Amino acid sequence: MVKLRKMMLNLFGLALICTLLVLSGCGEQTKTLYIFNWTYYTPDSVIQKFEQEYGVDVVYDTFASNEEMFAKLKAGGADYDITFPSGDYVSIMIKEGMLEKIDTSKLKNFSNIDPAVLAQCDFDPGNQYSVPYYLGAAGVAVDKTKVQNYDRSWSIFERKDLANRMIMLDDMREVMGDALKYLGYSVNTVDQREIDAARDLINNVWKPNLLKFDAEAFAKSFASGEVWVAQGYAESIFAEVDKSMWNTVDFFIPKEGGPSYLDSMVILKGSKNKDLALKFVDFIHRPGIYAEFCDYFGFPSTVNIPARALKKGESWYRPEDLLHCELKKDVGPDLEKYNAAWQEIRIGK
Amino acid sequence: MRKQHIGLLYTLPQILWLLVFFAAPLCIIVIYSFLKKGLYGGVEPQFSLEAYTAMANPNIVLVTWRTLKISIIATTLTLLIALPCGYSIARSRNQAIRLFLVIVPFWTNFLIRIYAWIAIMGNEGFLNDILRALHLTTESIQFLYNQTAVILVLVYMYLPYAILPLFSTIDKFDFTLLDAARDLGATKFQSYIHVLLPNIKSGLVTAGLFTFVPIFGAYAVPLLIGGKDSYMLGNIIADQLTKTRNWPLASSISMTVTVLTTGLVFLIAMRKPREQKQVFDVDPAFLQATPDGER
Amino acid sequence: MLRKGGVAARKFMPPGSSLSNVIYWVVIGFLFLPLFVLVLYSFNAGRQTTWQGFSLVWYEKLVMNSPELWRAFSNSIVIAFGSALMSTAIGTLAAVGTTRYSFKLKNLVSTMSFVPMILPEIVVGVSLLIFFAGVGLKLGLLTVWIAHTTFNLPFVYLLVSARLEESDPSIVEAAQDLGANEVQILFRIILPMAMPGILSAFLTAVTLSLEDFVITFFVTGPGGTTLPLYIYSMIRFGVSPVINALSAVMVAGTVLLVYPMRNFLKVFASR
Repeated sequence: MVKLRKMMLNLFGLALICTLLVLSGCGEQTKTLYIFNWTYYTPDSVIQKFEQEYGVDVVYDTFASNEEMFAKLKAGGADYDITFPSGDYVSIMIKEGMLEKIDTSKLKNFSNIDPAVLAQCDFDPGNQYSVPYYLGAAGVAVDKTKVQNYDRSWSIFERKDLANRMIMLDDMREVMGDALKYLGYSVNTVDQREIDAARDLINNVWKPNLLKFDAEAFAKSFASGEVWVAQGYAESIFAEVDKSMWNTVDFFIPKEGGPSYLDSMVILKGSKNKDLALKFVDFIHRPGIYAEFCDYFGFPSTVNIPARALKKGESWYRPEDLLHCELKKDVGPDLEKYNAAWQEIRIGK
Repeated sequence: MRKQHIGLLYTLPQILWLLVFFAAPLCIIVIYSFLKKGLYGGVEPQFSLEAYTAMANPNIVLVTWRTLKISIIATTLTLLIALPCGYSIARSRNQAIRLFLVIVPFWTNFLIRIYAWIAIMGNEGFLNDILRALHLTTESIQFLYNQTAVILVLVYMYLPYAILPLFSTIDKFDFTLLDAARDLGATKFQSYIHVLLPNIKSGLVTAGLFTFVPIFGAYAVPLLIGGKDSYMLGNIIADQLTKTRNWPLASSISMTVTVLTTGLVFLIAMRKPREQKQVFDVDPAFLQATPDGER
Repeated sequence: MLRKGGVAARKFMPPGSSLSNVIYWVVIGFLFLPLFVLVLYSFNAGRQTTWQGFSLVWYEKLVMNSPELWRAFSNSIVIAFGSALMSTAIGTLAAVGTTRYSFKLKNLVSTMSFVPMILPEIVVGVSLLIFFAGVGLKLGLLTVWIAHTTFNLPFVYLLVSARLEESDPSIVEAAQDLGANEVQILFRIILPMAMPGILSAFLTAVTLSLEDFVITFFVTGPGGTTLPLYIYSMIRFGVSPVINALSAVMVAGTVLLVYPMRNFLKVFASR
């Protein structure tokens, strides 16, 4: 009994300390920058350099789709300072009053950004709220040891001989956009017939050959040999595939093009570290840092001009590959048409 | 009079906590389910039955039906397997060791166990490796990412939930009754059906509920183990909230799930003419087998 | 098969029919197979599933090179003990109240106390998320702690009530007759009597909290990553078999934790 009581006292003591820790978690000493970013999007080395230079901590949480990020922030997780939405979501977040204005004149490195890219920022004219981070597109990764003859087209998903060895993102706008482009429509169409046609193509022709839709584990499935063809982001694929195997992977943007994305850095309303967040935005566009970021993921430097000269490594695709791609835009209430189509695809039989 | 107040005082913290963090959230869900959805998430303060009419959508009906089907199949399988296990433990001389063997996997983190099944059943997984090594197959067999895999893993996850309450009920059963039945000419099988089963009904009900309810609301297993055809209601709820931004629909489906499961529990509790107040038989041994120092 | 007659003869048979024993051992095999596979893979030198020799490299990585994992682990411990403490305190008081006194709302309280237990986790998670969004509470460790305390409460309440219902009311009456006041009765008599129940409720709460994924998944925010959430991200991203090593450690931990309790399992069985 005595022993038991002692044990209880110890346990409760421990628990009490833990509770106090929870409750006191808010008062930290060093400044902390809360970043909410895509899963593979800023190299650890860049984060560490930023932490060292400014003597701060960075908390880096991740999401796998714009929808997921938006839902979390909308639901009140807005304690983050910076996040990285695609263009369509920048405009949504501006409309919803979720963003702080950014004074680009305070950014020394803003001038490094390609004016051609800035011209495409019609989701935020004049860049009052957002600073471009990266312009790219999802493509298709093929394991060359398993699949030899193939067309660099979305039609690869029609191949029955690769059934259950192919995977696509669980991302409505991306996959619908691919099908729309393949059919020759705009990725931002609001025409019900075109959306239906894309839905039927995915549902009846592509889906039967897919292992599943997965926006998170697609790269891991590809790297482990579970699937041989994966639609997804190059950076994820090459982060998962071992370096020694890179020469066995072919990554391409299908010739028909697809939806491209222009992801931007935005500062969230209510950010407690606005200055620090601004410093981070500026830090990213230092040519050396931006080149490091691009090299790490095998990106072409689509946004930052001086970084192009500093890049050492190869890129998985060329900026020209994006020519046939089309930027995703917010389609407003017509998004319901996409939702309905996508629901039918995902629920399936 | 005074005693009443003291009793209420003791329970006050719990009442308040559950009111604020359990009842209020449920009420918000109820309210949200009757509002119009906001274009970019959230709700508009405007009455609407849209979220309920949207549930008549054939896709949602299909998923509801699929969820029910999977839950019923998995629960039935679980009970069928758990019953002899519980019986075997109850009749064993080494009850402690046998319970221990059931509890170890049960206490291992459930995501780890899901992950283990992915490692076993994947195209390049353990099972396919073995089949290939034995030259039983050259191509990988697709075990994962279908409804069968979902059911298998669900059964795996919830077997201990069923075995433990079944064991504790069977353990209280007077086994000489079986002998008596046999002496009166019943076969072994007959004696189980007519003597054992009626006596352990409450354990079966508890086991069934504790298996059915979590399976009905399953989220992680269909997400990680399921494929193109395995979406369940739990996944739809999460999608409506995190992807399609239809909070009212997420709320109305949640409400439906809540009403269905609590309704089921209370229905069973009502039908059970039992002297005790407790709604169903929750044996602490099932809730958790933890040291009981006093005995 | 030979029909055996007579009670006396059967007494010498091993208890339990052989078929149920066979099923039992097959089920145990089924339950342990995944754990066995994980432990096996954790010693594999290669990254993939094919065997490339024995190695402890993933264990080394787990210990030396996984700071985020350890941060998640410490978050989990803090949340587990913090929420267990809160729920044990509240739940125990409520159990004392409903077992010792009868009052108007008593039935409502005990019914309300177990409803959270029978709701699917996803509903609890979603409703809490919407609630936190509605009241403007920032998601993070605090909201995770609130959520865990909430789903722990019914278990604590039931376990402590069960213990209190078994205890002898005459002791309390005797103390009252001897002039003990309410506070003395609570701290000197009721709580010590209920201690085993409280302890098991506390440990139950700790394990439930350490285990939870779905609810935490919805209510977590910046800096609120718990171990199950981290494990989830390890399943989804990164081919590193560190997760195998972690699994093996967790299986071993479970065995070490449950094995000393095996005799108590029997105590529960024989009640």
